[in-house]
This record gives sequence, structure tokens and C-alpha cells, in this order.
Amino acid sequence: MNKIKIIIAREFNERVRNKTFIITTILMPVLMIVLMAVPSLIMFFATGDEKELLVIDESGLMAESLENTDELKFTFTDLSLSEARANTEVFGVLWIGQNIVDEPTQAQLYTNSSSSMLMEENISSQIEKVIENERLSRYDIENLEQIMKDVKANVVLTSYRNDKTTESGEAEEATSSAVTYMLGMILGVLLYMFLLLYGGMVMNSVIEEKSSRVLDVLVSSVSPFQLLMGKILGVASVAITQVAIWAVLVCGIGSAVLPLLMPDDIMQTVEAVQAGQMTTIDADIDADMLSALSFATDTGKLVMLFVYLLLFLLGGFLFYAAMFAAVGSAVDSVQDSNQLQTPIMIPIFLAFFLSMAVFNDPNSTMAFWGSIIPFTSPVVMLARIPFDIPTWQIWFSLAVLYASVVGVAWVAGKIYRVGIFMHGKKPSFKELWQWIKQ
Amino acid sequence: MNLLTVKNITKHYSGHTALSDVSLDVPQGSIYGLLGPNGAGKSTLIRVINRITMPDEGSVIFNSHPITDEDIYQIGYLPEERGLYKKMKVGEQALFFARLKGLSRKDALKALKEWFVRFGIESWWDKKVEDLSKGMAQKVQFITTVLHRPKLLIFDEPFSGFDPINANLLKQEILRLRDEGATVIFSTHNMASVEEICDHITLIDKSKNILSGSVDEVRRRFGENVFELTYGGVSADEMQQLLQPIADVLSMTPIADSPYDLCRVRLNNGVQVRDAIAKVNDAVELRSFREVIPSMNEIFIRAVEGSL
Repeated sequence: MNKIKIIIAREFNERVRNKTFIITTILMPVLMIVLMAVPSLIMFFATGDEKELLVIDESGLMAESLENTDELKFTFTDLSLSEARANTEVFGVLWIGQNIVDEPTQAQLYTNSSSSMLMEENISSQIEKVIENERLSRYDIENLEQIMKDVKANVVLTSYRNDKTTESGEAEEATSSAVTYMLGMILGVLLYMFLLLYGGMVMNSVIEEKSSRVLDVLVSSVSPFQLLMGKILGVASVAITQVAIWAVLVCGIGSAVLPLLMPDDIMQTVEAVQAGQMTTIDADIDADMLSALSFATDTGKLVMLFVYLLLFLLGGFLFYAAMFAAVGSAVDSVQDSNQLQTPIMIPIFLAFFLSMAVFNDPNSTMAFWGSIIPFTSPVVMLARIPFDIPTWQIWFSLAVLYASVVGVAWVAGKIYRVGIFMHGKKPSFKELWQWIKQ
Repeated sequence: MNLLTVKNITKHYSGHTALSDVSLDVPQGSIYGLLGPNGAGKSTLIRVINRITMPDEGSVIFNSHPITDEDIYQIGYLPEERGLYKKMKVGEQALFFARLKGLSRKDALKALKEWFVRFGIESWWDKKVEDLSKGMAQKVQFITTVLHRPKLLIFDEPFSGFDPINANLLKQEILRLRDEGATVIFSTHNMASVEEICDHITLIDKSKNILSGSVDEVRRRFGENVFELTYGGVSADEMQQLLQPIADVLSMTPIADSPYDLCRVRLNNGVQVRDAIAKVNDAVELRSFREVIPSMNEIFIRAVEGSL
């Protein structure tokens, strides 16, 4: 046991002190935040300069109806079209024909530089509105304005879960599906990346020891089994450290930094939602946004999520690491490992695609079995967890995963024990099978 | 007393036999040569002694008891294919291997410092192994092998890759370790080094032990009654006639710039050495008369070819 500890310590220290580890650990969360923030930043900065449009309104209907926006300023003019077009200081000229109500084609835009689709849509929808109102008023309906107001509806769909209840016994409001979707995606991809990255790390490390012949020295002090266990647990502890650092960062940002950055009234609303005193529709903030905020600042939920992430990460890693180690032990160089890796990579890829299917229906039979069978369960289950699936499924999946780790490690250990002493020809699958049977 | 006894070891791998009924005794304090052509089974035997592989039959007795996992702390093994972690620093790496051999961190550090001073390589402590030359890395590996003061040292081709100066340094260190009580097993094809430092040998060929014993005894056993004479005062023809009744003359060569000649003979069966000397001594001026003992190299080749 003491020897395994020494090996774990070496694996851990060598990797954690490595520059790559430090950089990825710090940069990954920053990168993720940047990636998520980029779209809104672009939107923010894309609202360009105010553009002035000269409007020649021969219909006389537009004057009161065209509304200036952040981007557009309408200036009505009596100039003739050709005179107006000669003015190059404005962005352009909008000409509205006299008979626009009956002939909607009588609208023309002349610009001095290229216009954007967004702006053109904005203009045409405003004109459409005017025409609509004009045509409606021809029917001479009383209280038209009032009727229009009454008719208009803004639908916000709020979903509740019958199988989840709040303390007061009512159905619990479900987290917005946009947030769930994003979370499922991030968790699934994260686990998929971790399996490949850290599994590959174990394999390369075994190959390095074998090809540099450090192994010959090592096995005169420790048994191959101790060596394998030490290596796998050492790399696992690196992965756990990385996730733990992220967990602290994310929870810290969520519970301490975010509330400071957000205006007080928004945070009060968020707290009310978290406490179940309010549902997201009652608030006057965008429901998705509120839902995301309430999740990001809910430390309890975040911690639970990271606990699941760690449990499945560790289980999935242990399950695949032993196999990666077996492949590494059977070859002399990384180049030789490709073919033997295939049977390991296929289920991992499959898990990735299955997790995509989860987003369509997190409770489909395929999603369920994908999250129970240990080959795919770590990735698929993590993609499902944000959808508030029954807890027993999570624990059942974990139990199956950890139980099968023992079996896989036993088989892989047999290959490893023979493989590390074999040099030269790359073994075939048939030969690997014979090593297992030995 | 024997530190290590290997009894009737047999090891089969799928398809071939690596060791077949091999036995040997390694006396305490000896330097024991393990010889044999490539693929003879030496490495397998070393692995069995190191408990890396388990034999199908037979047993290994270490220090008068069947060898256990605890005993590998008493063994230092330098494999033929040297290997260190390339990215790891020299000091940390040496410490890692020492601790795997059961030394505490404190003891390991102390012993390491001593060795680094002895070899004059203190400045390497924080260097990465990939920045060392091959010979430098070998020195580090030698230190990691002997650091925990094992009772038994197993060296597989220890001098390969060393320049003559460092090879000599290493030889002195090995002899010193032996004088301090260690027993050494040498696996090698280099017969010159065997003659120089080994006192016992075992020759393994085709998975069998074909020759065992002390170096002197083995060489005498392979001696074939061949003698070399230096003489003067008679011509080659006269000498030949003189020797005819008692021996086969194998060669006659004059010694350049001297009045003496050299001749090599094989005495006929039943002729006593003292009678032969007396006979020659009466007739010629005899300068020397000595038995020609075959070199280990010749014995190696003869034993291996003879076992075909």
C-alpha cells in the first residue's frame, strides 16, 4: 500500500507541476465564460452609430407613426426625391408613395452606403404596422384601439413538474429548458473530453515507461498490479484536483461575485424565485435569464452537480483508464496504439452521440439505457442529470459503473501484466485474448 | 555459505521453454558471472530471482529461506536496458526509486548526497534526465541500484555505454561494494570483464545450465594438456625430434629479437609433466614451461558449440 502511495505521489506531482495542467486549469473556466459572453458582447457593441434617414412622405400617414430607434432616426423633409438623394451627409432617403396603403410596393429606400437586413426589416415592419392600422380603420369599428389592446397576448410558457413538489406541496417550477439544455451539453462534453484526455494520459504514460525501459527497474521494486493501480489512481487524483478547482471557482463566482455585479432588484427577484415565493413569469425580467441566474447563484445545487460530476468522472475514468493502460502495455510506441485503441474509442464516441439524443428526450428508452450501461453511462448520465431525472436512476447507474470497474480492471490487469514484458511485434486481438486467458 | 541458491527452475512460455531445470549456487561475497548467448534464458532467470516472473517449477532460496516479496528490498537490479523518467529531475527521481526500495525519505536523501559527492555529480541534482548524456544517466541509474545497500546486486551488462575511465570507476565501486559485504551477480557477454572480476560463473545456453563453477576450476577443466615452452640452444628441427616421443608439436615460432624460440605442444596421454620437463631440460636451455589455460572466451565458444 505504501508503494502505491509513492507511485501516486509521483504521478500527481509530475502532472500537477506541469505547465499544461496549470494553464488548462485556469484558462478553461475563463475560456468558457468568454465563449458564453461573446454573443451578448457582440450584440452590445454591434448596436452601431445612429443613422439618419430623410423621409419623403407623400402619403402623409407616416409622420406620427415612424418611431426612432437606437439605430435609426427619421427626419421628415419636404425636399424632392432627387434633392434629398443629393444629400450625402445622411445615411439615406426613404420614399413613401401617396397610395402606400393600397399599393405596398410604394416604399423605396435609397442609401449612401450598404444597409443591413436588420434595419430594412425594422423599417418595413413599421410601415406594415401603419398600413395595417390604416386598413383596419377603414372598417370603422368603434373602440378599435381598445379592442386591439385586448386582443394582443404575450404567451410565456412555464413548465412544472408533477413528480417534483415544493415544500408547500405544489408542483415545482422546472428550470428553464434553455438552461437545462446548456448544462446538459456542458457536462456531457466535459466528461467526454475528460475520458479521452485523461485516459490517453494513462496510456501514454504506460507506453513511456515501457519504451524508456523504466518499467524494468520499477517491476524489480513493485508488482505490476501495484504499478498499474498507482498510476491510475495518481492520474485520477489529478483529474479530481482539476474539477475541484473548477468547482470552487464556479461556486465562488456564483455565490459571491455574481450578486455583487447584478443590480439589487434583480438579485431580490432571484432570491424570491429560489425561495419558491415567486415563479419566473411573475418577474419582469426575461424568464430564461432569471432561471440561469437563480441556478448560478444557488450554491447548494451547484455543489450537488459537481459531486455528481466527480462521481461519474472518477467512475468513468477508472472504467476506461484500465483499458487504456492495457493498450499502452501491449505496444511499444504511441503510433502502434491506434488500432488497439479503436474498441475503447467507439463506446466513448457512442456515448457522446447518445448524449446528443438526450436533449431531444431525456427520458427515452435509449437515453435511459445509455445512462445505465457502464460503457456510455458516465457521459450520457451527466447529460441527463440537469433534466431532474429520478435520483434512484443516478445511484443505480453509479452502482453499475463502479461494480463493472472491478471486472474491467481485472481483465485489463491481465493484459498489462503480460504486455509490459513483450517487446517487438504489436500483438493482435487474438493474442490479447490469449493473455487474458493465461 | 551461499547467499542465493536456485533450485531446478523451469519456466515455460507459450511456445517455448525459457529455463529448463536450472540450478546454481551463489556464494556469499562472491562476484558471480552469469554468461550465455543472447536468448539463452539469462534475463528470465534474473526475473525469476527478482520475483518479477514466477517459475513453473523449482525454488529460489535467499539467505537460507525461500525468497519472499520482502526480500526484494535486499536486491538491487540494474537491467541491461537502462531507463529513467526523462522529464523528471535527477534528485527527485533517485529519491523516488530509493523510496520504492523501502528507504525512508530522510535515509534516502542522506545516502544520495553521499553518492552524488563520491561521483562528483552534486550539480546534477536539479537537472532533468533528458539533459544528461547517456553515460551520465547510467551513473545516476547505478546509484539508484546500489543506494539501499542491498545484500545482492544484479548487474546486466553494467559496463556497456561507459567510456574506459568511467567503466573503471564503476568496476572499482563494484569491488568496493563486494568488499563491504555485497554479493554480485553479473550477466554479460564480455568475457574479459568476467576474467577480471568474477570468481564464479555459470554458463547458460538454450535454457540449460551447461557449465558452473569457480573461474579457476572451470578454466583448468577446459585445459587440454597443452603447454608452452620457451627454449634456446637447439634448432627447431632438433627440438621437434626431441619432443616427438612424448607430445604432439602444435606450433613452433621464433621470438623476434631474441635467441629463444617458442613452441606449443600437447603432451601424450600418460606422460607426466615433471618427466617431460626433466627430458627437455636435459637437452635444451629451458627458459619457461607453462600450462596454456584457455581464455573464458574460448571456453564460452567451446562450451556453447559443444552443447549443440
